[in-house]
Amino acid sequence: MRHVSVSLVLVAVGLTAAFCVVVLLGFGFRGPGIADTEPALSVATWIDVAQGTGARNIVSAIYLNVRLFDTILEVLVFSVAVLGVHFYLTARGRPEPVESIPESSVVRVAADLLLPLILLIGLYVTVYGHLSPGGGFSGGVIAGTGLLLAAIVLGTKTVTARLGRRLLDRLEWITLLGILIVGLVPAALARTPLVDLLPAGSPGRVGSGGSILLYNGLIGLKVFVGSWVIIRHFVDHRGEI
Amino acid sequence: MSWLNGVTVSIVLFGIGLLGLVLRRDLVIKLLALGLVNASTILCLVSLGARSDGAPPLLGISTVQNIVDPLPQAIVLSAIVINFAILALALVFVMLLVERYHTTDSHRIERETAEEEEQEELWS
Repeated sequence: MRHVSVSLVLVAVGLTAAFCVVVLLGFGFRGPGIADTEPALSVATWIDVAQGTGARNIVSAIYLNVRLFDTILEVLVFSVAVLGVHFYLTARGRPEPVESIPESSVVRVAADLLLPLILLIGLYVTVYGHLSPGGGFSGGVIAGTGLLLAAIVLGTKTVTARLGRRLLDRLEWITLLGILIVGLVPAALARTPLVDLLPAGSPGRVGSGGSILLYNGLIGLKVFVGSWVIIRHFVDHRGEI
Repeated sequence: MSWLNGVTVSIVLFGIGLLGLVLRRDLVIKLLALGLVNASTILCLVSLGARSDGAPPLLGISTVQNIVDPLPQAIVLSAIVINFAILALALVFVMLLVERYHTTDSHRIERETAEEEEQEELWS
């Protein structure tokens, strides 16, 4: 037992040291602006890509256009994690229900005021993902966190009853199916470019960016529902928040 | 202080996280250390495109010469989502282990599984 952990520590220290040497030699001694002296070759390429898609946010133009299939598989990984949490915690069975602790009136009033705003910000970040910083992943997490706030104040049972448990479980798989279908339709129709179904539109408008808006909306819905499913399962099996 | 940049800070964080992952016995703290390793990787990748006069990679808003490299940011998005997925799933497994062995200490869990195996061999 003892010698195993010692050798593990040695391996860890060795790996870290090797990593440090490689990275320090490559990038380490350059000051805070590491890419200051770099030629902007890569950036110019990505600007061309973004102009081709009609999106203003170059990052979403990369991960929802040229790296689209990678992102779809990433959504698949997220879905598998949600399915894993769902499966293992449902198989564990229901523990004794715990009485929820009533929150103070300050939290209740603040949650009432903030919940619509948080959901609205989540929607805004999702819909404007191709024009400004944001996108489906961050917008979905913002809206899911808003539901967590509601769950703290009202209790998960009330929130689940209001949203409809069955609807949420179905919505999760329907959105995943939607993302896969929308992603694979151009390939099925033999249309090029393979990742873009809609016209680019004029840059700066909400309707621009080709399919990026569609993917952002679907991914936002997926992450919103998925994070809520994870939160609900964790809370259900630890009593109330 | 020319050596103080995102990469060097991320190396320190990576080392702390890796040592915590190996040395600490508490499973929850191991998971926190894993999160620290992940955060250090994200910091390293994003700071590779950093410029001291950097502007966000938005066309039509930032001037083109100052735009930071958008590729690491797009790649880091996968790392963030997958870290979230791993953390949620690993926490479920920790919950199952705690329910069975009533401890988060990895050494005690290993000892008890070894004892269980010995008893199974005795019975068979």
